[in-house]
Amino acid sequence: MGAVEVVTKKPAVSPLRATLRVGWKRIKDVWTQIYHSKNAMAGLAILVFFAVLALGAPFIAPYGPTQKITDTACSITSPPISALQPPCPAHLLGTSYFPYDIYSQVIWGTQVSFIVGIMSAVVASVVGTAVGLISGYVGGWIDEVLMRFNDVVLSIPWLVLMIIVAAKVGVVDLTSLILVIGLTGWSVTARVIRSQVLSIKERMFVERAKMVGTPNWRILMRHIFPNAFPLIFANTILTVAVSILSESVLAFLGLRPPDTVSWGRIIAEAIDNGAVTIGNPLWLIIPGLCIVFLVFGFYLFGYALDEILNPRLRRR
Amino acid sequence: MRKILRIVIRRTVNALITIFGILCLNYVLIRLMPGNAEANIAPHNPQYAGYAAENIRIFGLDKPPWEQFLIYLQKTFTFDWGISYYWKVPVADLILHDLGWTLLLVGTSTILTILIGMVVGSLAAVKRGKPFDFVSTGASIFLYGMPIFWLGIVLQLAFQKNSLLTNYFSWWPVLPIEGYMDGPNSGLPQVWSWDWPHISSVMAHLFLPALTLALGTLAGVSLVMRSSLIDVMTEDFVLTAKAKGLSDRQVLRRHIFPNGLPPMVSLIALDIAFIVGGAYQVEWVFNYKGIGWRTIAAIDHLDFPVLQFIIVIGGVAIVIANLLSDFLLLWLDPRIQIT
Repeated sequence: MGAVEVVTKKPAVSPLRATLRVGWKRIKDVWTQIYHSKNAMAGLAILVFFAVLALGAPFIAPYGPTQKITDTACSITSPPISALQPPCPAHLLGTSYFPYDIYSQVIWGTQVSFIVGIMSAVVASVVGTAVGLISGYVGGWIDEVLMRFNDVVLSIPWLVLMIIVAAKVGVVDLTSLILVIGLTGWSVTARVIRSQVLSIKERMFVERAKMVGTPNWRILMRHIFPNAFPLIFANTILTVAVSILSESVLAFLGLRPPDTVSWGRIIAEAIDNGAVTIGNPLWLIIPGLCIVFLVFGFYLFGYALDEILNPRLRRR
Repeated sequence: MRKILRIVIRRTVNALITIFGILCLNYVLIRLMPGNAEANIAPHNPQYAGYAAENIRIFGLDKPPWEQFLIYLQKTFTFDWGISYYWKVPVADLILHDLGWTLLLVGTSTILTILIGMVVGSLAAVKRGKPFDFVSTGASIFLYGMPIFWLGIVLQLAFQKNSLLTNYFSWWPVLPIEGYMDGPNSGLPQVWSWDWPHISSVMAHLFLPALTLALGTLAGVSLVMRSSLIDVMTEDFVLTAKAKGLSDRQVLRRHIFPNGLPPMVSLIALDIAFIVGGAYQVEWVFNYKGIGWRTIAAIDHLDFPVLQFIIVIGGVAIVIANLLSDFLLLWLDPRIQIT
């Protein structure tokens, strides 16, 4: 709380810096707690592993994501063909129908998952935070209207909403995919932020700021937002996990940009080509496990962070 | 009592407003689809000619938009939902038929989820910090992160005929992995009747889809149950109860559960939207022809007359579930004040 009072005495501070200032004092403290939390460190380790895969894809993957394979090193048919080869040391996960090297595709797919997951979570968090802040702080009929609209969005099954918007917008590239997932995924965030704002609003320093005549938007940006930021951050990390899942579901159902290789798409192609009957179940299982572990990593880290940043949950 | 009545009325009005909002959003969404409304709901493909004219008549697509909106509202409430192009039958018949199967699937797995989730969650809370807590929480989060469609596919691989496991273990069961009951080839009469062959066939076909859905949504209940109980455990009155010499079991039954359970109700209701979302994937993977399967098939064929009312049905079901949970909560926990 001390940090907030320092900010109140120096009026010429931008909201971002106020946030950073409140945040910086806590970052070391939070890092120590992350360091001592087994769950957070396990999650972080998984995330680092996949981040290395994503960033190092050009060096780790033996082939490009859509680079045609010409050799027949793994083929078991006679005459040997390069398509649909089962796994062997030359192609660790076999080759697909086109034929591409599946092992390389899985590694390149990490990039798509990270980009789509993080960007859509950012979109969802920005919209959700804006709605939550305004709704919680302003209150009155604006709150009523925003929350009723939120109810409507929450009530329509998210998958259908997403599919309809995807069919409407047409998933032509990564940007439209990110917008579809982000713009349908903000309603839970909005609720969480709103309830947090409602409780911050009642605290003493907000009362004090009001009393000295600070304009509302300033209170919102300099007092409420910085204090809600840790929660917003933890919530964004959880949203990344949900967005990665959404991306895989959409890709599996065929709503995917035509020229990007994602894990959901690899699974869908594995099923279309009868991966199990042609003796290559790994084609189906490995990309699935990648999704599971990456999402698991984000959840572990996100929940642990939430527990650390949200003092209510701390062991008393 | 007066106050409770006011809360009930307020909640009901909110639910009605939400339903109206769903109807409006649905109207806008479908009419904003690529191509104009007329082309969506009444395509001019020669093979649909008869049906197109019928839908234009039903929804008044040749009238101005505001009038169309009123007609749409009226038709929604009279179940006069137009005709599906792809399946060539009235939409209402189609959806009401599918709804039964989806309710069976969603109902079974919701009950499974709640039962297993509550037991696992409360055990984890009681044994906080012990290995059981660590393992069950980890497993819950792990399952939570699993794409439900992929979990379904893996279970299909494990329980299909000639799976790798049946080759190694002679006792490994083979379970039906497609549809909601045996098809015509199995010799089962396709006309439904309440006899053992039909019921057992439906139950066998329900097993894997319901299990998939329950496993995929388990964590939503067990994690919340755990944190809800732990919240209560740190309250002062629990310490008092322990201090006055009650056994752990008594503290748990008389003080922790009665205070920790009510918040669960509204959270489980929120989870229902998530479970329904999962049901769409499960139905598609298992070829279980309920609402979810129908939705995805309708999107493939751009069958908008079907789509627009599937959204309404899904949304209304979730609003009603939430409303009922609010009332249940009100009845369970008289302290509650919903503002």
